[in-house]
Amino acid sequence: MNIQRVMANLIVHLKQFSREKSTIFFVLAFPILLMLLFGFIFQDTGSSVGALYIQNIDGGAHSQMLVGAFNGTGVFDVTMVDNTTDANNYFSDNKLDVLIVIPAGYSDSINMKLANQSLPQSNLTILYDQSSTYAQTKISIVSSVIDGMNKGLSGSVDYIGIEMQGQQSDQFKFIDFFAPGIIAMSVMSSSLFGTVGMNTELRQKGILRKLATTPLTRAEWLISNILYQMAMAMLSTACILGVGMGFFGLKPHINIFMFMFILLCVFSFAGIGMLITRFVKEAESAQAAAQAVMFPMMFLSGTFFQMEMMPGFLQTIARFLPLYYVNEGLRASMISLDNSVILESALVIGAFGILVFVLGVLLTSWKDE
Amino acid sequence: MSPKTYFYFIILGWNMAEDVITVKDLVKLYGDVRAVDGITLAVEKGEVFAFLGPNGAGKTTTVEIIETIREATSGEVGILGMDVKKDRPQILKRIGVLPQEFSSFDRLTVEETIQYFSKLFCADCNTDHLIKLVNLEEHRNKLYINLSGGLKQRVGIAVALVNDPEIVFLDEPTTGLDPRARHDVWDVIKGLKKEGKTIFLTTHYMEEAEVLADYIAIISKGKIIAYGTTTELIDRHFKTVNVTIKGGSGGVAALAEKMEMAIQSQETGKITIEALGNAQIVEFLNALRANNISYLSMDIRKPNLEDLFLALTGETLVEKEVAK
Repeated sequence: MNIQRVMANLIVHLKQFSREKSTIFFVLAFPILLMLLFGFIFQDTGSSVGALYIQNIDGGAHSQMLVGAFNGTGVFDVTMVDNTTDANNYFSDNKLDVLIVIPAGYSDSINMKLANQSLPQSNLTILYDQSSTYAQTKISIVSSVIDGMNKGLSGSVDYIGIEMQGQQSDQFKFIDFFAPGIIAMSVMSSSLFGTVGMNTELRQKGILRKLATTPLTRAEWLISNILYQMAMAMLSTACILGVGMGFFGLKPHINIFMFMFILLCVFSFAGIGMLITRFVKEAESAQAAAQAVMFPMMFLSGTFFQMEMMPGFLQTIARFLPLYYVNEGLRASMISLDNSVILESALVIGAFGILVFVLGVLLTSWKDE
Repeated sequence: MSPKTYFYFIILGWNMAEDVITVKDLVKLYGDVRAVDGITLAVEKGEVFAFLGPNGAGKTTTVEIIETIREATSGEVGILGMDVKKDRPQILKRIGVLPQEFSSFDRLTVEETIQYFSKLFCADCNTDHLIKLVNLEEHRNKLYINLSGGLKQRVGIAVALVNDPEIVFLDEPTTGLDPRARHDVWDVIKGLKKEGKTIFLTTHYMEEAEVLADYIAIISKGKIIAYGTTTELIDRHFKTVNVTIKGGSGGVAALAEKMEMAIQSQETGKITIEALGNAQIVEFLNALRANNISYLSMDIRKPNLEDLFLALTGETLVEKEVAK
């Protein structure tokens, strides 16, 4: 292994890249445009659309009626929170936009007020994300439900009041879901198309044949290519994160796991690229084959849409696609910090990446067959 | 390589000290096709060796086996006393290669291209010297993609020299170039010869081999069918000179027959006669004058390598373009 030769190759690729406007566009501008486009379209869409979290500490008849009223709107998908949990922690840990807390004694308080209207009203506590316009929409629906309850109880006096508690929430937003997906997609496409494009172009031009007459070894060539793809991946990741943080308030966790998933993504798709160019010699056909690999994976692996939105059989198929594990792994490492998902995704994509890359290395030949 | 050397090469074995390339009984099969069919040759240090033959004759396959980038089915190949199968890394450091249809990275300048290949050899090459050697001083900062075909070939030759090789392989260095660009490349090759490089040139241009080569091997259908210097090859196979007379007033053919000169071809207003050397040409000219036979023009031409190839194989070296 000669470092000088590896670096010489890497520098050539970087120079070529910096002087090729169309490549710069597809590696950098394209994912940025996607981020801006989808980010602005879905910026107010939380990942908890329709979800309403309620902590019913009271548990009495009136509180049950209230929960039933929220369920009865047909708008909310009500999730009950354990009444021993600290509401504030639960709200921030789960990045909620709205959490309704029905306090202890709520039902008794209403019963007492029904007997003596001079007693104070019973207050619900609503924790909400101040930055979310969607939370405001939910609160207005919640308020109208409570108004309805008040009217049903007396017709004039408000038995139930609301105590609002605005929170600086890290609620999951669409951008949290979307940004890791765009990073995975752009790393996949730059590694796959970068490898396919470079190999077929250099072969067709005869540059590989010329390189075969130099002391450059196949291992040095492949390592310099991977380093180049890594540089491209880091560059596009930095741009995507910059746009996400600058325009949409994305607050990712940048940690070793994020870099690990990007590295594994490069290995996996550079490996697939090597296999494609091993079996498909013509540049146009190889590009078409790469597209045939990329597009289904892009749409089925949860890059743009949540997996839960897809039919069951497509969700099953997705679990056989490597990009799914890159998406899951990146989201778990950058956003939710879910260690079990990080571990599972890393194991699957790691094994796949190593297998495909080793096969690609073994089957790539300097010489014309 | 002289016939005497070739004799020693055949009789005494192929690992002679002065031969920097030695090939013995080389065979390359692609399925049932014998692309290279028992080729034996040797190239001496400092000579320009031309491998001449039409497209598809097996030139590039042979040279790529010698360059170590293709494997032979059988046979032995030695370069600078080393075996191509066992000593590939050492051989690559001491040879330079201009592959057929050379191309490089589009977005590198001439200077950057030379420096890049120099780094692959970890060689401390003198870029300025190479750029001057191939006459690219004016173009050193131009991107490769913006160069003409001739300039690209000259970059390829410079790249083949970055490691100061002892042997330079030039595979079809002027194919596709216009006449001026071709002559520019020839000048560069002549410069390399002056620097004492051994040059292995493959070409299908007869004129290129005649102008540049010290020694020529003609290949057809995977076999060497003739070898020697241009003069040796022509003299060995042709004893006559062609005399073509256009616009003769009549009686030319009869006079040639009377003087026992063979008529090679005859059509309206044009006849080609074979003369046995200059003396017979003078004799024929005198006879034309004595018989008051007038003519518009006379062309006297020695047979060339094209004629030789035609005589040996019944085919032409360069395929004629089909009229569209």
